[in-house]
Amino acid sequence: MIHNKQFKYKIGIAVFTLGITFTSCSKLLERSPNDALATKDAIIDAGTARAAIIGAYDRLQSYQTSDFPTLGTITADNVIFNGTLSQYLQLDQNAVPPDNVITVSAYQSIYRLINSANSVIAYVPGVNDPALSATEKNSILGEAYFLRALGYFDLGRGWGGVQLLLGPTTDLGVIKGVKRSTIEQTYDQVLADLTEAEKLLTDDANTRSRAQKSAVYALRARLHLYRKQWASAEEYATKVIQNSKYELVKPYKNFFTTPFQTKESVLELKYSANDRNSYWNLWYPSSLGGQYTLKPSETIISKLNNPNIGGARKTLLAGSGNSVYGVLYNTQGQNTDPAYLIRIAELYLIRAEARAQQGLLTLALADLNTIKNRADVASVTITDKTLLLNAIDEERNVEFAFEAHRWFDLVRTEKAGTVLGVTNKNFWLFPLPYQDVLSDPALEGKNNPGY
Amino acid sequence: MSKIVKALATAVPLVFLVANSFAQNGKITVKGKITESTTGTPVAGATIQTNNNKATTSNDDGSFIIIVDDNIKNIHISAVGYENYYLKLRNASEYTIQLVSENSKLDDVIVTGYGTQNKKFIAGSIVNISGNELKEIPSSNFTQLLQGKASGVQVSANSGVPGGGITFRVRGNNSINAAVEPLYIIDGVFINSNNNVQTGMGGQTQTSPLADISPSDIEDITILKDANATAIYGSLGANGVVIVNTKKGKLNSKGKISFNISQGRSQALKKFEHITGEETGILVNEAAINTAKDNGIDPATITLPFPDPSVLPTYDRNSGLFRNAKSANYELNIRGGSDKSTYYIGLGYNNEESIVKPSGFERITARINYDNYVTKNIKIGTNTNFSRTYRNVSSNDNNPTGVINSAIFPRSYVPIFNADGTYNRAGSFDNHLALINNLDNNAVGWRTISNLYAEISIIPGLKFKSSFNIDNNDMFENNYSNTLIVAGIAAKGSASSIANKALYLTNEQVLTYVKRFGSKHTHDINALVGNTFNTVKIQNTSASGQGFATDNIKAISDAATRSGSSSRSEANLISYFAKASYTLDNKYTLDASIRADASSKFGVDNRWGYFPSAGFTWRASEEKFIQNLNIFDELKFRGSIGLSGNQNGIGPYAALGLWSSGYNYLETAGTAPTQLENRNLTWETTRQADIGVEFSILKKLLNFNIDFYNKYTYDLLLQVPTPSPTGFTSYLQNYGAVRNKGVEIAVTSNNIETKDFTWTTTFNISFNRNKIEKLASDIALGASGRNVSILREGNPVNSFQLYKQLYVDPQTGNAVYEDVNKDGSITAADRQIVGNANPNYFGGLTNNITYKNFNLNFFLFFQQGNKIMNMRDFFLVHGGTQNFIGFIPRQLERWQKPGDITDIPRLTTYKSNINENGGAANNYGGQVASLSSRYLEDGSFLRLRNVSLSYNVPKSVYQSLKIQSIRAYVQASNLFTITNYKGLDPEVSAQSSNQNTAGYDWATVPQPRTILVGLNVTF
Repeated sequence: MIHNKQFKYKIGIAVFTLGITFTSCSKLLERSPNDALATKDAIIDAGTARAAIIGAYDRLQSYQTSDFPTLGTITADNVIFNGTLSQYLQLDQNAVPPDNVITVSAYQSIYRLINSANSVIAYVPGVNDPALSATEKNSILGEAYFLRALGYFDLGRGWGGVQLLLGPTTDLGVIKGVKRSTIEQTYDQVLADLTEAEKLLTDDANTRSRAQKSAVYALRARLHLYRKQWASAEEYATKVIQNSKYELVKPYKNFFTTPFQTKESVLELKYSANDRNSYWNLWYPSSLGGQYTLKPSETIISKLNNPNIGGARKTLLAGSGNSVYGVLYNTQGQNTDPAYLIRIAELYLIRAEARAQQGLLTLALADLNTIKNRADVASVTITDKTLLLNAIDEERNVEFAFEAHRWFDLVRTEKAGTVLGVTNKNFWLFPLPYQDVLSDPALEGKNNPGY
Repeated sequence: MSKIVKALATAVPLVFLVANSFAQNGKITVKGKITESTTGTPVAGATIQTNNNKATTSNDDGSFIIIVDDNIKNIHISAVGYENYYLKLRNASEYTIQLVSENSKLDDVIVTGYGTQNKKFIAGSIVNISGNELKEIPSSNFTQLLQGKASGVQVSANSGVPGGGITFRVRGNNSINAAVEPLYIIDGVFINSNNNVQTGMGGQTQTSPLADISPSDIEDITILKDANATAIYGSLGANGVVIVNTKKGKLNSKGKISFNISQGRSQALKKFEHITGEETGILVNEAAINTAKDNGIDPATITLPFPDPSVLPTYDRNSGLFRNAKSANYELNIRGGSDKSTYYIGLGYNNEESIVKPSGFERITARINYDNYVTKNIKIGTNTNFSRTYRNVSSNDNNPTGVINSAIFPRSYVPIFNADGTYNRAGSFDNHLALINNLDNNAVGWRTISNLYAEISIIPGLKFKSSFNIDNNDMFENNYSNTLIVAGIAAKGSASSIANKALYLTNEQVLTYVKRFGSKHTHDINALVGNTFNTVKIQNTSASGQGFATDNIKAISDAATRSGSSSRSEANLISYFAKASYTLDNKYTLDASIRADASSKFGVDNRWGYFPSAGFTWRASEEKFIQNLNIFDELKFRGSIGLSGNQNGIGPYAALGLWSSGYNYLETAGTAPTQLENRNLTWETTRQADIGVEFSILKKLLNFNIDFYNKYTYDLLLQVPTPSPTGFTSYLQNYGAVRNKGVEIAVTSNNIETKDFTWTTTFNISFNRNKIEKLASDIALGASGRNVSILREGNPVNSFQLYKQLYVDPQTGNAVYEDVNKDGSITAADRQIVGNANPNYFGGLTNNITYKNFNLNFFLFFQQGNKIMNMRDFFLVHGGTQNFIGFIPRQLERWQKPGDITDIPRLTTYKSNINENGGAANNYGGQVASLSSRYLEDGSFLRLRNVSLSYNVPKSVYQSLKIQSIRAYVQASNLFTITNYKGLDPEVSAQSSNQNTAGYDWATVPQPRTILVGLNVTF
C-alpha cells in the first residue's frame, strides 16, 4: 500500500541528495596540488625569486651530474662502454642516433635550465618586495645571466649553433619561427650574457657552489679559448688565477676527496644526503655496488699509471687486472660527489694554450709545468710551438681524464679524426633530438648534417 | 483450483497456493500455502492483508488462514524480497498464484550499467561468465581466469609471478597516454586497478590490485564491450567495463557451510641454458681473431684472451634459479538467509610461490555480504571485502641486478663464489644466489572494498537506491638491501619504507523504473536516472636510510643518513546519467542513455563531457516468418552506437600551469617550471558502433554470438612532443586518434545431454585490428632507451622498429640489412616497422564433459600473429663480445667460415665504417647496434591452459555424516604449449609498465606448469 505522504517524503530525500552534490559542484572541480605553484604565482616576492634561482641551479645539476661528464668522456678515448645499456654503447661507438637517451636528455635539460633562467631574468626585476634588496636582486639576476650563458655555451659546443630563446615560455607560441643561430651567434649570446652577469654580480664571497664574478671570468676564458680569441682567453684566465681564493691543491686527489669545495674549484656543484649524485655508480664494479658501465680505457690506464705522464693522477684509478675502475666520483653509498664544472687547473691550461698560440712559449710552458708539478710529474722543456700545444692537449687529457673535456677538446682542436677515427666531421656534433626535428617547423625537418 | 500469474520479467516466479475459501456468516475463510516454485520451499512470514487492515502472516510451512468480510474483493499479499501481489477473491476453494522475487537472479537477467536487464532485450555487446566456469583454473587473480573465456577480451599474464601484473584489454588499445585498462566494478563499487607497489622490480607492471579479490567469492562476471553498454559510465567507460558480482545468500534458505582445500606444485616447462666455460673461451678468442683481421692486424700477433679455453671451468647458475614451487588454497564459506535477510561469509587463504626464487604471494580475504529488509519496502545491505596481501618482491626484466639477469648474463667460467666463500660478481651484475638468499623486499597490502546501500521501493516498479562505496587500498612496502647484495654494498645497507594510500570514494543515487504493461505485456520499460560523486585521494609517504651498523639492523631510524618525502593528490568527478529502454511485443527494443561528467582534472574551459548512446534489438525469432523457416530457435539482431570517454591515466592536475617544488640546491628549496597550462584539456572520446547477431539452431544445440565493431577514439589525451627550446618536452593535449575494429565469434555447442552424460563445447575467437589514425609525430620508446617500440601514424600501437636483417652473407659472415632508402649505406633512416605485438586473433576452446559423478574440463587458449622482442637473445646471441657478458647455446650456431649458412653473424667488435651495409661493424655495434629484426620472433601459441578432473563422491558414502556433497578434483595448467617461440614462454610482457611497449621477453619469469589437487566439502 502506498501512502502519498510517505511517497513525497521519499522523493524529497532523493531530490535533496541529488541537490547536495549539485550545489557544491564547481568548488569540487577546482583542485590544486600542494607541491606546486600556479605559473602566475611563481615569481612574485623575495621567497619565490630565491626559490626560482635555486631551481635554476638544480636544472644545472640535472645535466652536469651525469650526462655531460659522460658525453665528454665515453665518446672519446679515455672511457669505454662496459655495461648493458645501448645509449652508452652508441656514444662509445660514436654512432649516435638522434634518439640517443643521453644526448636528448642533456639537450632538454639545458633548455629547461635556460627557461628557468629566462623566467628569472624576465620576472625578478618586477618583484617589489622590501625583503629583496637591490643587491640581492642584482645578484640573482647576475646568476641567471651566467647560468643562461653556461647553458648556451654547452649547447654550442655540443650541438653547434642552436635556437636562441631569451624569454620565458608562457605558451608554445614563443618557439614559433625561432630558427637556429650560427655557432658564432650562439657564442655571441654567451658573451653578451657573461658581460651582463659580470656587471650584476658582486666580487667573490666564500662560496664555490654558486656563480661569482670569478666563475664569469673563467667561463669567459673558456669561451675565448673555444673561439680561438687567445689574448682574451689569456686575460680572463689570468683574472681568475690571480685571485687568491683559488689555488692548485696538493696532492692531486684532494680536490675529489671529501669534504670537497677545495680551493681548486672555481665552480663546483654541491651534493648532499638530500640532494644526491650517484654518478659513481656508473663507474664502480658491481662487487662494490656499482654498474660499471663506464670503464677507463687501456690507454688512459697506462698513461695515468705512468709516473712521467699521470704522476699523482694515477689516484684517479683503483682496482686491478680486468677490473680497473675510475674513482674521480667516489662517494660510494654517500652519493655526494660534486660536479666539477670549472677547476683552477683548467684556467692554467687555458692560459698555457692561449699563450702558446700567441707565441709566448716560455710563459705557456711555465703554466704547463705548474700543472705537471702539482701532479708530481717532472717539468718538461719544449721549445717548439706545435709540440708544446700537443703537450698541453695531452696534459688536458690526463688532468681532466674523467671530466667533461676530452671529447670537446678533440673536436675543438680538430683532432677527433686522427685520435678517435671519427673522420666524418658531421659526427663531431651531437644530433638534435629526433622529436625536435619532427615537432619544430622552424628546423624545417633538418637535423645536424649527417644525422 | 490453481492459477499461474506471471509477473515482472526481471524476477523469479514463486508459487503461491491459496486453498479453500468458504462463506461463514458474511465472512469467508481463505486458506492457503506458500511455496517457492523453483525450490518448492515454503515462504514463511508473508503478510496477508485486506484493505481494511485485517492481516495475518504465513506459517513456517507457508500456510495461512484468514477470515475476511465477504464483500472483500482483494487480498494484498507481501513478503520481503518479493513483489507485491493482489489476489482477486473469487468463489474458489483454492487459490494458486505465482509471485515474483524482487532481486533473485534469473538466468536471463544480468547486471548492466547501474541496473539489471533481460538478456533477451539487451542491445549492447555483453559477455556474462558465471563463477562456476572460472573455478576450473588455478590462479589467484580473477582477471587471469577470464583468458580465452570472453570474446573480445584479451588477457595475458605479464609473467609467471603469482599476484603479478595482467594485461587486460577489451577490444584493443584505445589510447596512447591515457589508460587502456577497463573500469572494474565489484558489487557496484568502482575500484582502483592501478598498481600501487612502487618498489622497482624491472619493466613490468609489478602487481595486479585485482589479485586482492578471492576468485571463489565471485558469483559472476559481466563484461560490457560496446558503447551502448558502456556509455552510461561516461568518462570511465571507453575501455570497457568489467562488473563482478560476488556471492550472496538466498532468502529462506538453510545455512550451508562449504570448505575447499587445495595444494599444488608448479614447475618451469623450460629453463634458461648456458654454454660451457670452454665454449665461451672459444667464442671470445674467435671474436678477438676476427676483430684483428677486420682491423688489418695479423691475428697471429695478438694475445688471445684465453690461450687455452679447455682449462676454463663451467659454473651452472641456472639451476639455482628455479624451484618446485608450492601453492596452497583454503576457503571457507557460509551462506544462507532468513525471511528478511541473506548473508554470505567467505574466508580465504591463498599462498603461492613463484617458480623463480624468491618471489611469492600470500592473500587472506574475508568477505561479508548482507542484505536486510528493514520493512517491506526498504532494503539495506552491504558487500564488504577485506583482504591482506603479502608479496615477496624481487626485481627482474630489465634490471641488471635482478635475480634472473644475474644468473643468465655472467660468463659461465666465472665462479659463483670467491675462493674465500664470499659471493662473486662480474661486471654490472649481482650474484643470483646472494639475491635469492638476501633479498628482503616485501609489500603488504590492506584492501577494503565495501558498499553500504539502502533501496526504497516507492511504488511497484519504481525504486530509489542510494549507496556509499569505498575502495581503500593501503600498501606498505619495506625493503632492505643488506651488504651482501649490490644495492646495499656501497651504502652499507640501504632501506626504504613506503606507505601508499589510494582511497576511492563514491556516492551514488539511482532511481529505477521497471514496468511491463499492456494486455499481453506488449510494453516493457526499463529506465533509470541517477548521479554519482566520486573522489580519488592518493597519499604517499616514504622514508629511506643508508648506512646500517650491521646487516641485522634494518629500521630506518637506525640508519646513518635518512630522508623522507610525502605527496598527496585529489581528483573529483561529478556525474549525472539516465538510461531508458523500451521493448515492444518482446520483439523490438530501443535503448538510449546519456551521461554528463565533470572532472577536476580538466581545463576550466572544458570540464563537462556528454556521452550519449543508442541501440536497438530485434528478436527476429519472435516473428512468424522466421518461425516458419524452422531453422532458428532464437535469432536476434543488435545494433548500437555511442560515445564513451576516458580520463584515467592522466595526473590530477594535468591541465594546470605549474612550477613544481623540490628543485632544491644547497639545502635550499627551489622551484622550476614543469607544466604548461591547457585550459581546454578534456576527455578523449571513443565513438563505437557495434552490430551483433545471436542465434541458436538445431534445437539449441548450437548457439552463436557474433559481433562486428568499429571503435574510433579521438581527441586522445596525448603528450604531444614539444620542441626542447621551450624548456618543456611535451604538452598534454587532446590530439590524435586510434581505431580498433574487429569481429568476435562465440559458439556454444551442447553436444550431448543425457541423464548420465553431458558434453558441452564452447569456443570463441576474436580479431582486432588496431591503427593509429592521427598522431602529432612518431613516439619511439621501449627497451630501456633503445626505442624498439614505436607509435606511428598508420600503424598499430605496439609496433616494433628495427633494422630488417636479410641474411648473413655466407662469404663474409657479416649481417646484411635491408637498405630501405637505397642510399647504399645503413643509416637511421633504414630502421623500419617489422611487426607488432598485437595478435591477429586469439580465443579459447573449452570442453566440459560430465559422466555420472565425473567431470572433465579442458581448456585450450590460443593466439596468433603477435611478435615478441627476445631481449635475452639480443644480449646473449649476437655478433660481438662484451666484457663480463656470456652467451647461450644458440650463439654456437654463429657464422664461422665461408659457406656457413646461419642467421647469427660472425663475432667481431670492429667499430669503423659504421654505415657500411654488410660491414663487420654492424654485426654487433655500429649503426645497427644489435637492433636487428632477427631478435623479433613469432609469439603465436596454442596452449592447453587447463585440464580439470573432478569426482563427486556418491552420497551413500557419507550419508550419515550430515554432509551434503564432497567433490575431489585434480587440475593441471599449462601442460603443453605449441609455439615456434625460442624463449622460455610466449605469454610474456616484460615492459608492461608502459602500455605501449607490449611484447618484450627480458629475463622474465615464465608461466609455470601447475598440478593441483583439491577437496570441496559442503555441510
